[in-house]
Amino acid sequence: MLASQGIALAAGRAERLAPGVNALNVEDPLRGEMPFEVDATTYLSVAKRVQA
Amino acid sequence: MSLEQARQRIARWQPRINAFVSTEPRAAGSGRGPLAGRALAHKDMFYRAGLVSNCGSKIRKGWVAAETAAVLERLDAAGALDIGTLNMAEFAYGPTGHNDHWGDCCNPWNPEYITGGSSSGSAAAVAAGIVFAALGSDTGGSIRLPASACGVTGLKTTWGRVSRHGAMPLSHSLDTIGPLARSAEDCALVYGVIAGRDVRDPVTVHAPAEVAADGMARTIAISSRWIRENAHPEIAQAILDAARCFHLVEAEPPPFDLLSAHCLTVMQSEASAQHAQWMRERPQDYSSAVRARLEAGFAIPAAQYVEVLRLRGAWLERFCGETLRQADAYLVPAIAVPLPTRAETGPRGGPDMPQRLAEVTRLTRWVNYLGVPSLSLPCGFDSRGLPIGLQLVGRPFAEGTLLAAGRAYQRATDWHRRLPPDPR
Repeated sequence: MLASQGIALAAGRAERLAPGVNALNVEDPLRGEMPFEVDATTYLSVAKRVQA
Repeated sequence: MSLEQARQRIARWQPRINAFVSTEPRAAGSGRGPLAGRALAHKDMFYRAGLVSNCGSKIRKGWVAAETAAVLERLDAAGALDIGTLNMAEFAYGPTGHNDHWGDCCNPWNPEYITGGSSSGSAAAVAAGIVFAALGSDTGGSIRLPASACGVTGLKTTWGRVSRHGAMPLSHSLDTIGPLARSAEDCALVYGVIAGRDVRDPVTVHAPAEVAADGMARTIAISSRWIRENAHPEIAQAILDAARCFHLVEAEPPPFDLLSAHCLTVMQSEASAQHAQWMRERPQDYSSAVRARLEAGFAIPAAQYVEVLRLRGAWLERFCGETLRQADAYLVPAIAVPLPTRAETGPRGGPDMPQRLAEVTRLTRWVNYLGVPSLSLPCGFDSRGLPIGLQLVGRPFAEGTLLAAGRAYQRATDWHRRLPPDPR
């Protein structure tokens, strides 16, 4: 995956890369409730609605 | 503090803490304005036209900026002196204050220990009494970690509150800029100058930036049991003692570790994209630690990155609607574990090093994912004489509320007035 992006891994790093990246793919309880129409910009309207 | 006094303190402290990259004056101050005559210096990532910004790196060593950062323009107009540039983590991508290219920044309270990062020089210079205030950036804790570790006050602003135009980018969805100073009062002074809309940073908004008057009752949410069960006992004690200054309501803790993982997904994806060309052409010019973080970002699937951004609004809504339902802010330690040494967290830190770094950053990244403001305040010292800090986390654009609460807390306590002993 990295090679296809032109990125050369430093020596000895390949074994350590996967566990760190896999650890970020966590179960999120809100995933199932998220409406289909939500996108990344929805955050901006939420921030405006809940602001101080 | 005059420029001459600042210079004397630099001469005394620099060999011990390595806070400055350059002590060449960059702005002379206009003599009028709310910061007239105040000596400031800033993290070496805020560009000034015609002058060097190294960004803590080898790759940008000697790079001359073509334009001036919006925040520096505002500070110049407010009369502030800019007396030099401050050490930082390489490309602001490290939480400890280590720097392979410019030398580690060292904690003024004990140079064997980390300053926290990435705004390491900013916190160290303020703690050493060299400057009135310093700008830092905060993408995953880079203002609050060093503020806590060095015993100063630091404000991470709301995403969109302060223009990032002319500041080195790391992760555009998370990057924020804010002040570090001795007190909330001093942070408020700088914050009032730098906050506001700037057409050159389209995410900035017009929201009012007033700091609320003192004397208002503040209700603060806290998860006392979580703190007792998860923070080191000395830190838990200091935090719970500090909390007694506020009117408290108990709240369920946000899922720190889940939100922190989401923050890292965004940060690593965006930082790696930002650095992609240099990573292809000259990866050997990064330190090993930064190169490893950048390599990781290229392995994150794009769909995972976008899904985490889709979830961001729902989590913000939950934090404001549940954690802050009855409160103005949420109180939590800035760092829940004893500060590690530089050796324990450096290139030869051993197999426990990644876990130590994860513990140090556990309670800051979730705030960046939500994009909300947070004020770090000194609230005690551990048995080794190292500072302990708390965070007050608020709703979007509630910096004024946090600063007023911080000011009230600092009127009742004197932790922020304590200075590390001058070097012999």
